[in-house]
Amino acid sequence: MSRIRINPVVLILINVIAPSMYILINGKYLQYFLLAFASFVLILMGRFKRLAGMLVIYGIMIGIYSITIQDDRAKFIGLFLIVLAQSVPCLVLASVLVSKYNSAELLAALETMRIPRMMVVAVTITLKYIPTFTREFKLIKESMRLRGIDFTWKKPIRSFKYFVVPQLFRCAALAEEVTAAGMVKGIDAPVRRSSYFEERVRWSDAMIMAIFVIGLAGGIVWHTRL
Amino acid sequence: MAYTPVIKAEGLSFKYNESKEGIFDVNFEINQGEAVLITGNSGSGKSTLLKCLNKLIPTITEGELKGKLFINGEDYDSVKMYALNKKVGSVFQNPRSQFFTENSTAELVFPMENYGTDKEEMGRKLDELKKDFNLGKMMGRDIFTLSSGERQMLALASSLTMNQKVLIFDEPSANLDYGNAMRLGRLIDKLKHNGYTIIVADHRFYYLNGIIDKVFFMEQGKLTSFASEEEFKNSGYDTRSFDIFSLNIPFTGAAESKDSVVAELKDVSYKEILKNVNLKLHKHEVVGLVGSNGAGKTTLARLLCESNKPDGGKVVKGSLPFFIMQDPDYQLFGTSVDNELSLVKNDAKRIAECVDYLGLKPYRYKHPFDLSGGQKQRLQIAMALICDRDLIIFDEPTSGLDVYSMQRVSDEIVKLKEKSSVLVISHDYEFLRHVADRIVYLNDKTIEDDFILNKENVNRLNAIFGKMAEETA
Repeated sequence: MSRIRINPVVLILINVIAPSMYILINGKYLQYFLLAFASFVLILMGRFKRLAGMLVIYGIMIGIYSITIQDDRAKFIGLFLIVLAQSVPCLVLASVLVSKYNSAELLAALETMRIPRMMVVAVTITLKYIPTFTREFKLIKESMRLRGIDFTWKKPIRSFKYFVVPQLFRCAALAEEVTAAGMVKGIDAPVRRSSYFEERVRWSDAMIMAIFVIGLAGGIVWHTRL
Repeated sequence: MAYTPVIKAEGLSFKYNESKEGIFDVNFEINQGEAVLITGNSGSGKSTLLKCLNKLIPTITEGELKGKLFINGEDYDSVKMYALNKKVGSVFQNPRSQFFTENSTAELVFPMENYGTDKEEMGRKLDELKKDFNLGKMMGRDIFTLSSGERQMLALASSLTMNQKVLIFDEPSANLDYGNAMRLGRLIDKLKHNGYTIIVADHRFYYLNGIIDKVFFMEQGKLTSFASEEEFKNSGYDTRSFDIFSLNIPFTGAAESKDSVVAELKDVSYKEILKNVNLKLHKHEVVGLVGSNGAGKTTLARLLCESNKPDGGKVVKGSLPFFIMQDPDYQLFGTSVDNELSLVKNDAKRIAECVDYLGLKPYRYKHPFDLSGGQKQRLQIAMALICDRDLIIFDEPTSGLDVYSMQRVSDEIVKLKEKSSVLVISHDYEFLRHVADRIVYLNDKTIEDDFILNKENVNRLNAIFGKMAEETA
């Protein structure tokens, strides 16, 4: 099966709309619908590994929930996890967004949504910090090993500190450097940005959006009837 | 029409907030088609001046700015940042963060998108840049997978996308090997002849020999102007860096080492990078590992550190080597200089001695991240001095250091060999001449040459550098 390329705008919209629907729609219905919908999108995009990962994490969370819910003392763990589980489908779709599209594509997508420029830039930098973080995390872990400073669960807070403090300093420096890199390349130009990667809204994008909206509408109808 | 300089400064001063540093009463004129070198030691104000030229000062860096700057006769105050950067292209020093995106094609179109260029025009410009800078092989790639030479080309190309005619470089040679630096020199020469105005700030300038029209020498924020390269060379300032091969540096006087072997690579192969490499590292010996960018020098070091496992052959060694990477920010975990050192070895007496020796005493209770670049590096050397490991590896310890700091690091590295074996990966000819007892040349997946660095063999080292320059020709 050939993979379908989804316009990033569609994924962004879904990610914005879905969580806010918990106000309007029955939680259980929305939870299962989003899980099914995210699985469907992942299959279309050919991201089978990510799909498997999502289902496993989801399954584990639900599993722990059903076990702990029977015991009053452990109940809070289950309740905490069930709340967390509801955000899993959205997080997975967001992770696809970050890993599959480059900053220029994300910028272009956000720009077509007529969001103010400074916000677009801030969101893009934040999204792109995730892969940078992963890369830097590996470097820090490696240099801890070479220094002979091990990450141990015996002293979790201290170990955690070794990871986080250098990251924070790097983060502050990086933010300034990236801003400078953007500024000297005209990110503040008061004209409408054009896009080299701009994508037309395809038939498949419209279909995915339609399925999403119909699913939500169904939920609202069900919710009001009950 | 009266003749107007491209850039003119009149009494330009800038002082950073909460700091005495800055630039003071700077005056100069730069004309079209000139190549200008701005040089001086670290902290002399080179970068500050460049930031004024591309308006990052005062746009994002705060402080007190006085005096006037003009571009083509127009006052900088009346030119907006985005309008200025259509005329002035900037190439930064940091290989990691000078790119806004992480894909090479996206990076090239990024400025054009910002200025609203239409898609056809972008395609046309992209083709033109591809041809001019030979970017064919690196389009559409993840920037992190590019070599440092390729990244430099990309940074240069992306700073010219809006047809800028003025180009600013901040320490472009810091992360380049000798061959790529020489290639950059040739490119700058070519751009200059095509009418571009080039401004380069760097403390090494061997790659600009014979190209420069004017030199601005910075010292504690003050600028002294020299009307030509010749005038600068005759000025009495330390301009040796123009011709690195004529430097008269004494040799360390090392002979074939008879000391014990601390680490050995036996027939080691790794992926497509290294094939059947054999190498013995001895105690009390400083080995300079040289080779072009991407020759596998860092991979070899990583094999010694068990970061990578060899596909074939064997790595024999005692303790884990102490590896000092290029970027100290990833390697500092302590809450103060003292604490950082005690994480290596909790021996208050030795820490005190070491801190004293390296001039870190006033900073003992400072957080490592609050230190300057040079101080961070000295802290790393202090860590190496007290670490009790047999082998200490440095990856490009002098990139971005001025000549004085480089000489200081050299002395400290020589001190390290009193108790350990030292392996330095370096592109820096002058530094290698100061510290290396032995040179190992990595080329074409294997060790092509391995010799004691002395008067008889220095030609071999020069030939290696000559060869690296030819490779990029």
